[in-house]
Amino acid sequence: MSAAKPSARILPREAGAAPLDIVIAIMAFLAALALGASLITDRAAEGWRAGLSGHLTVQVLPPDHGPPNPALELETDAALSVLRATPGIVHAAAVSQADTLNLVEPWLGQGALVSDLPLPRLIDATLLPGAHIDIPALAARLIAAAPDSVLDDHAHWIARLKAMADTLIWSAYAVLALIAIATAATVAFATRAGLEAHHDIVTLLHQMGAQSGFIARAFEWHYFLSVLGAALVGAGCAAILFAAASGLEFAGVEAVPFLPPLTLHASELIWLAAVPLASGLIALGTARLSVLAALRGIY
Amino acid sequence: MVRFENVGMRYGPGPEVLRDVTFALEAGSFTFLTGPSGAGKTTLLKLMLLAEPPSRGLIRLFGNDLATTRRKDFPAIRRRIGVVFQDFRLLDHLSAFDNVSLPLRLAGGRPDDYARDVEELLTWVGLGERMRAKPATLSGGEQQRVAIARAVVARPDLLLADEPTGNVDADIGERLIRLFGELNRLGTTVLIATHDRALLAALPKAREMRLVDGRLVELRAGRAA
Repeated sequence: MSAAKPSARILPREAGAAPLDIVIAIMAFLAALALGASLITDRAAEGWRAGLSGHLTVQVLPPDHGPPNPALELETDAALSVLRATPGIVHAAAVSQADTLNLVEPWLGQGALVSDLPLPRLIDATLLPGAHIDIPALAARLIAAAPDSVLDDHAHWIARLKAMADTLIWSAYAVLALIAIATAATVAFATRAGLEAHHDIVTLLHQMGAQSGFIARAFEWHYFLSVLGAALVGAGCAAILFAAASGLEFAGVEAVPFLPPLTLHASELIWLAAVPLASGLIALGTARLSVLAALRGIY
Repeated sequence: MVRFENVGMRYGPGPEVLRDVTFALEAGSFTFLTGPSGAGKTTLLKLMLLAEPPSRGLIRLFGNDLATTRRKDFPAIRRRIGVVFQDFRLLDHLSAFDNVSLPLRLAGGRPDDYARDVEELLTWVGLGERMRAKPATLSGGEQQRVAIARAVVARPDLLLADEPTGNVDADIGERLIRLFGELNRLGTTVLIATHDRALLAALPKAREMRLVDGRLVELRAGRAA
C-alpha cells in the first residue's frame, strides 16, 4: 500500500477558535476603518491646501459707519493694478457683486436688505505654481495704492487646516496602534490557552527532541493563518463599506455636508490589505514569543 | 552510554521515589527493569529521557553530564533516545503513518526520504493496512505497535520502553521482542521496564535490574540479547 501523504499540521485545528476569529475580524474591521479615514483625511487636507495655497485674496473694505466710500471702486482698480504688476501673479480679477452676495447667502440669506449691506469688494488672485511672493512687501504696496485694502494669503487657514488634518491622521494612527496592541494581547492570550489545550502534544514533541523553534513554528503558523483569515473578513467588510460609500457618492448622495466624501480610490483600497497582513504578522510574532517563553519553563 | 551515580528523586516536598540509584548501561546492552507497581520504574525512565531533572546525584548520557550540559543541547540528546510510553502518547489528529514518521520529521527528514522506511516498518508490525488510520480507530494493541514503531523508526542509540507488550497478543508480543532484539544487535542499547516474566524468559541473556522501594537491586547480569 502506498502511504500516506504526510500531514503538515502538527497541531490539530481547534474546535473552539471561533470567538478568537470573531474578535480579530471586528478589530480588523475597525483598523481598516481607521486606516481608510486617515487616507481620506490626508487626501482632503492636500486638496484644501492645494486649493488655497495657489491663491491670494484682497478685500477692499467699506467704512464701518457712515455713507459708502465713493472711492471703493477706484481703490479696487488700484489694488488690481498693483496685483497685475506683481511678478508671480498670473491672474487677478474682482469678484462681482452678485458672486459676493452668493458667498454670504448661506449665512445672511437673500433679499434687498442684504444687498444694502456694506460688503467689501473682493479680488481673487491666482499665483504661478511654485511662485514665491513677498507678502509683506505686496501688502505695503497695496496699502499705498488702496488704503482700505487687506491682503489675505490664507496662511492662517492653511495652518489650521493642516493642524486639524494632522490631528485626525495621528488620531487614526493611534487607533491603529491600540488595535495592534489589542490584537497582540488577544493572540498572546489565545496562544497561552492553546499551549494549555495542547500541553500533551507540546510536552511529547519536547521530549522527542523537537527544537523550541520547531514547536514555536507550529504555533506561529497556526495563529498566523487563523488571524489572517479572520482579519481578511474584517478588512473585507470595511472595503465593502467604503465601496458602498463610493456608490452613494456616484449616485449623488452627499454623506456628510461640508466634509469630503467618505470614499476611497482603488489605489487607496489596496492599502486596506495591509490590515490583515499586519494582523497576521503580529499574531505570528506574538505566538512565537509566547511559545518560546513557555518552553523555557519546561526542563 | 548511561551512568547514574547516587541519584535521588522526589516530587515536591514528598518522600524520595528513587534513592541512591547507581548503575551503568553499556553501549549495546539489553536490560530489563522490573519491580512492583509504584517502585519507581517510570520515574527512572523519566530521568533517562530527560523529562525531569533529578533531585540529587549525577546522570551522564552519551558522555554528557546533564548537570553541566547546556539546555540548548538537550534536544539533540533526546533525539538519540527512542521511547515507548506506557500510555502510548500518540497524537490523535495524526495518522499512524504521521505518528511513526514524527521522529524523522523532528530530525529534519523529508517525507520523500523516509516514507518507504515508515511504510515498511508499519507493515512489519502488522499495520500495513492501517497506515492512514487515526489512533482513535485503532485497538489498544494496534496503538501500542504504532508507539513502538515510532520509538524505533529513527534507529535510536538508546531505546526505553515502559511495559511495551502489555496490550498485545502472544504472537505480536513475540514479534516485538524480535524487533527489540534485532535493534539491539544493530547497536541500540535497550532498557525495558516490564512486569512480563514471559518477556524476560524470551531473552535469557538480558540483564535484569529490579527496583524495590526506590532502591535498585541487580538480579541478573547480562550480555547483549
